[in-house]
Amino acid sequence: MSASPPEAGVQDAIVDGAEPPDATADVPWLRLDAKMIWVDAVRALLSMAPAAIAIVVVGVEPTSGTILPVAVLAVVGVVGAANDAMRWVKTRYRVTDEYVERRTGLLVRKYRSIRRDRIRSVDAQGKFRHRLARLRKVTVGAGQHGVSGGALTLDAVSRTAAEQLRHELLNHAEPAVAGTVAGRTSSTAGAGHVLARLRWSWIAYNIVNVWAYVMAAGLLWGAYWLAVLFGLDPAGWVTGLADWEELGWGWTIAVGLVVVGVIGVAGLAANFVSESWNFRLVRVPTENGTALRTVQGLLRTREVNRDENRLRGVQISEPLLWRWMRMADTTVITTGLSIFSTSSTILPRGPLGVARRVAAAVLDREGDSPFDAALPRHPVAALRRRLLWATLIAAGATGLVAWLARTIGPVPESLWWLAAAVLLPVLLTLAVVSYRALGHAVSGEYVVTRSGVSARATAALRRSAVSGVVLRQSLLQRRLGLMTVTVTTAAGYGRYAVPDADAHSAVQFANEAAQGMLDPFLEAR
Amino acid sequence: MSQNGLRVPANRVERRAILHWTLAALATATVLAGVLAVPYWLWESARPVIGPVLVAVGAVGVLNAAMVPSWRYIVHRWETTAEAVYARTGWYVREWRVAPISRIQTVDTSRGPFEQMLGLATLTVTTASSSGAIKIPGLDVETAIREAERLTEVTQLTPGDQT
Repeated sequence: MSASPPEAGVQDAIVDGAEPPDATADVPWLRLDAKMIWVDAVRALLSMAPAAIAIVVVGVEPTSGTILPVAVLAVVGVVGAANDAMRWVKTRYRVTDEYVERRTGLLVRKYRSIRRDRIRSVDAQGKFRHRLARLRKVTVGAGQHGVSGGALTLDAVSRTAAEQLRHELLNHAEPAVAGTVAGRTSSTAGAGHVLARLRWSWIAYNIVNVWAYVMAAGLLWGAYWLAVLFGLDPAGWVTGLADWEELGWGWTIAVGLVVVGVIGVAGLAANFVSESWNFRLVRVPTENGTALRTVQGLLRTREVNRDENRLRGVQISEPLLWRWMRMADTTVITTGLSIFSTSSTILPRGPLGVARRVAAAVLDREGDSPFDAALPRHPVAALRRRLLWATLIAAGATGLVAWLARTIGPVPESLWWLAAAVLLPVLLTLAVVSYRALGHAVSGEYVVTRSGVSARATAALRRSAVSGVVLRQSLLQRRLGLMTVTVTTAAGYGRYAVPDADAHSAVQFANEAAQGMLDPFLEAR
Repeated sequence: MSQNGLRVPANRVERRAILHWTLAALATATVLAGVLAVPYWLWESARPVIGPVLVAVGAVGVLNAAMVPSWRYIVHRWETTAEAVYARTGWYVREWRVAPISRIQTVDTSRGPFEQMLGLATLTVTTASSSGAIKIPGLDVETAIREAERLTEVTQLTPGDQT
């Protein structure tokens, strides 16, 4: 009811305070699993192992350059382990009939509680070291905005306790099989209907990325440091590989880029394999409906459950640079899950065909998917508006550069027309791309919107989830006969826009999308 | 009057709103110009760059204060019915917003300093969507409070489907 609105109520779903809200409940407080202390201590020791081997076994002379990173690692490790020990001492948690509560702090006591009926996801993560010790980090989400990660984190409890928590908090109808399932993944992903499984060909979609270079930089720095530690001379080795002087600058840079790129791609591939290992998207039955569950990970497993009662639609987004290989990201539009958290992603980056098939299955509209609905091209005026803006922006930027060059000084005069020559074609191309991305339709109980330049995003949103309509028209748009329609909703991004639709049909489309919300405000005809 | 099939919302805002928008526009322009004037006055070498910007800010500020408020007055309209809240706002860019009563979560009135001076208030209606809020500025205080109370009442009587 509106008296206690649900989304406004999110704020009071999570309560921080000095008093437990359920102080009367006679449920014992539980501790985290003590194993987490030594797990982290062992990790700290292991991270110092290469240095120790180098110095003690190989007998490398320690220098300040090699000792410093080791010292930093040692300090970080010790502080981390001490921190973990303190956290174990300080933290208690319990699940009462109404709340999940967590108590931290010795001198200053802090309580955090979440009402159980607000809980929207229970996420169990196991890093490799946790998995070895049969531990899981549990994150309970309550649809909070602006709190990253989750409303309440328990780092870490035993695997059985994590299973039990999830079972208890999400009211799973299936039997708890923790401890009886053998194998790598923690849980019960076998139950339920499998909507998608990892295909190894998806690797190709996850390794072509600018991040390859960042990855390579990290890997190379690590390798360089390790090599120096063992008394090798990697810089000299690279210099001796070829006669760089003779190759010249251009070739040296080209070779460098290719080699670094290959290393980065290999790194990304390894990362993808370890992250998405044994990925499955499963629809599992719960007490009050169904949930979409993803399970994935080799060294570090990750399992996310999304209540389907909160599902309002699906979005498929196609990044511009990889449109030619039909690459797609698939996310669900749900209430309560922040669109910026990875929890809304239900498929690894992969081919568009799979994304569409899975989206149809998730929406239960196989054979008649909203993503297969015909999206007629928008009026050419929309292209004209984009071309006009592209030209104006290019002209404005060029003018600004020219003016700055003249007033500030030592910038070559030719710079401004160079700016124009580069900027104008790029912007005009983007204008065309942006125009071609436009589309909208009403397909059954879904409204479909498509737009976007850097990533063309197609969203199918349930019409019953539309909670408002915004129509927008500038004078220019009015002259061109265009109108921007936006439907607002509580889920996902909160707004899904159809820029520059034909002004005559826009209102009708908006009204259809919003299930007749505009009826009382239509002009009598 | 409108070419797109939507009818115009029933009520205009108060005429005093023009004065309010003018004052607000002048205040913004003054603050901006003031911020720019400080480095202009302090550093002689920066004057060739800041000078034109300062002139532009002044010119746009004056134009904005002279034209936009009356323009807004022509565009701004609002209406509340038993089913929905409907408002048209903007000037160069017009915006029509509709939110059904069943989706309304909060109804607020707020009054800025200029609004208090002129006896005006802004009515804000929010829904579960983070971007679905409808703001109706330039209402008489009495009207705004009466509307807010009425909407709250109707909202509580209407069974909402929440999100």
